[in-house]
Amino acid sequence: MTKPVLIIGGGPAGLSAAHALAISGRKAILVEKEDRLGGAPILQGYAKLVPSHEWARDAIGGMVNRVVSNPLVDVKLNSSVQKFDGEPGNFVATLKDGSTVEADTAILTTGFTHFDSINKPEWGFGTYPDVVTTVQVEQMISSGKGIRCPSDGRVPDRVAILLCVGSRDRQIGREWCSKICCTVSANIAMEIREMSPKTNVYIYYMDIRTFGLYEGEYYWGSQEEYKVKYVKARIAEVTSDGKRLLVKGEDTLVKRPISIPFDMVVHAIGMDPNVDNMTISSVFDVKLNKYGYIGKPSTYLHMAETSRPGVFVAGSATGPETIDDSIAQGTAAAMAALNFANMAVQAAAE
Amino acid sequence: MPIHEKSLIRPEKLVEHEHLVIEGMDVSGHWSTFIEGRSLTDYNEAMQDEIAALPGGENIHRCWQCGSCTNACTVNAINPEFNPRYWIYLIRLGMEEELLRDKDIIWQCVSCNKCTYACPRDVVPEAVMKATAHWLELKGHTPKSPSMIFDEGFSDQVFHSGKIEDSLVLRNFFKATGQPLTQPWLVAMVTGLIKRFPVFYLIRLGLLTLFHPKTKRWGKARAAIHEYVEECETANRKALGLDAKGAE
Ligand SMILES: Cc1cc2nc3c(=O)[nH]c(=O)nc-3n(C[C@H](O)[C@H](O)[C@H](O)COP(=O)(O)OP(=O)(O)OC[C@H]3O[C@@H](n4cnc5c(N)ncnc54)[C@H](O)[C@@H]3O)c2cc1C
Ligand code: SF4
Ligand code: SF4
Ligand code: SF4
Repeated sequence: MTKPVLIIGGGPAGLSAAHALAISGRKAILVEKEDRLGGAPILQGYAKLVPSHEWARDAIGGMVNRVVSNPLVDVKLNSSVQKFDGEPGNFVATLKDGSTVEADTAILTTGFTHFDSINKPEWGFGTYPDVVTTVQVEQMISSGKGIRCPSDGRVPDRVAILLCVGSRDRQIGREWCSKICCTVSANIAMEIREMSPKTNVYIYYMDIRTFGLYEGEYYWGSQEEYKVKYVKARIAEVTSDGKRLLVKGEDTLVKRPISIPFDMVVHAIGMDPNVDNMTISSVFDVKLNKYGYIGKPSTYLHMAETSRPGVFVAGSATGPETIDDSIAQGTAAAMAALNFANMAVQAAAE
Repeated sequence: MPIHEKSLIRPEKLVEHEHLVIEGMDVSGHWSTFIEGRSLTDYNEAMQDEIAALPGGENIHRCWQCGSCTNACTVNAINPEFNPRYWIYLIRLGMEEELLRDKDIIWQCVSCNKCTYACPRDVVPEAVMKATAHWLELKGHTPKSPSMIFDEGFSDQVFHSGKIEDSLVLRNFFKATGQPLTQPWLVAMVTGLIKRFPVFYLIRLGLLTLFHPKTKRWGKARAAIHEYVEECETANRKALGLDAKGAE
């Protein structure tokens, strides 16, 4: 039993699985389709993370270094799995460059895809340059350039953050809550207020889901320390009066239509299933759940299992997840892969 | 079923032209009835900051509109228009015009603090109501409320002599608010006192009503208190963008 474990996707979940296997003395092959490891936080240039406030490049960068410097992990960048044959304990994967690798088991940590705001045209993204996404704001912060309106580089006096863009919306077939965007938005709001105290930030919400311990630090903290204002309204449309953006909707608490001028509108975009999931599903012969994420048949007894024996899954490939949960799931999947191999050894010995 | 939207139309938003002819068509009177929009077209960020700067208003930005204060409120039980939750919202988003519609009931808060104990976010709505009433007065939207007049009379006496003489507080208050001294409850209380009190006490009470003794060596304390109060009042007025002394 010396074959490595094949891990597909080098984000937080995949990095954590690779590390867990390597420190247990097992070999791992990490296949990543981009030219860098780190997943969304690195590829998209996130700023300071929830809940640690560490810069993504430091926190996730540390995970990358740990894996890259471990001789038991074989990292294959700019790669993906085209074919996946065989049995548990005897899998053969064909990679993009035509080479094949053998593997004992496989772990899918292929993550998610950011919702593309173009699919909600009424909210102005793609029409007005000053309508941006949370990812763009993360990049503004992490680049050190600060919060500026893309149209003319001015520091905005007033910013609106619209929650649930691409989540919780039957009109576009997305019925899930993306779980982290409320907290991320509160975090971004606080960062904006800190960088530019003259900028007033309004968050338009249907519900606030800063779950668990995030409630105090992010929801309460953004209101109490940073004076961020929350307005219960799902915005109907974003237009422009020629000078500023106009955010239109109904303020449900005063039962009045609103049409408020803003300098910048931020879409809190959700976590879609990975666009590759149809391909991944057919290559690995794993079932997707009804939303299009990779399905997990068992919630409690069989951690990390997919519909195919010997193929495991972890992180946001299974649905909207936080980084820390993705990391925990990556380690759990590594554990499941180790157990699976041990059971096979025992079965062979009997 | 009544049309709910009708309740949203305010009389002042109904506009009619007494004489109006459009393209030869006479549409005078109710034929030209027009309802002005109720759309909110801007926020006023200064309003929350102003009220937060007054004593008691400090925690207003914590409010998340749960309604526990209104639900617990003594006055709301009698007058449903009395709605601390709603006013806090108006202030937070700067809907001044809307708040002013209720300016004559906001001061009716009886300071029972039931809201304070119900509020999950420690906004202290009672204090916010006080700060709001104070704001309305300072901005000249409302005349001095009776409770403010009472408080002022009370503190003026303390500042002056370092002591309180209840009957003087009452007499001054009734005078300032133009009320007769012969309030039935007061008459009943005084006759009750006279009947039940030992003569010795009655004589002392009577003397105190005539002569107002001062706390010994009060002058220094008075000066310090004056200075402090002035400082606070100037700071309050400054936060509201008003000049130091005010219009009075
Ligand atoms: C704007 C925004 C801000 C966020 N901020 C935070 C935060 O502050 N804190 C927090 O806890 N969470 C945050 N999240 C959530 C966080 O991004 C995810 O929890 C995390 O990225 C999930 O890690 P993952 O490894 O499961 O997936 P990913 O990070 O998506 O990594 C998947 C990896 O797999 C690769 N891959 C995909 N498909 C293939 C394929 N077919 N073959 C090979 N490789 C493939 C990808 O290139 C990628 O490197 C945020 C999300 C958003 C949208
Ligand atoms: S976390 Fe918040 S913003 Fe994101 S989908 Fe859920 S409710 Fe909407
Ligand atoms: S203190 Fe005022 S606002 Fe609060 S419950 Fe009593 S009357 Fe109502
Ligand atoms: S109880 Fe407190 S948090 Fe709730 S509406 Fe009243 S003031 Fe706001």
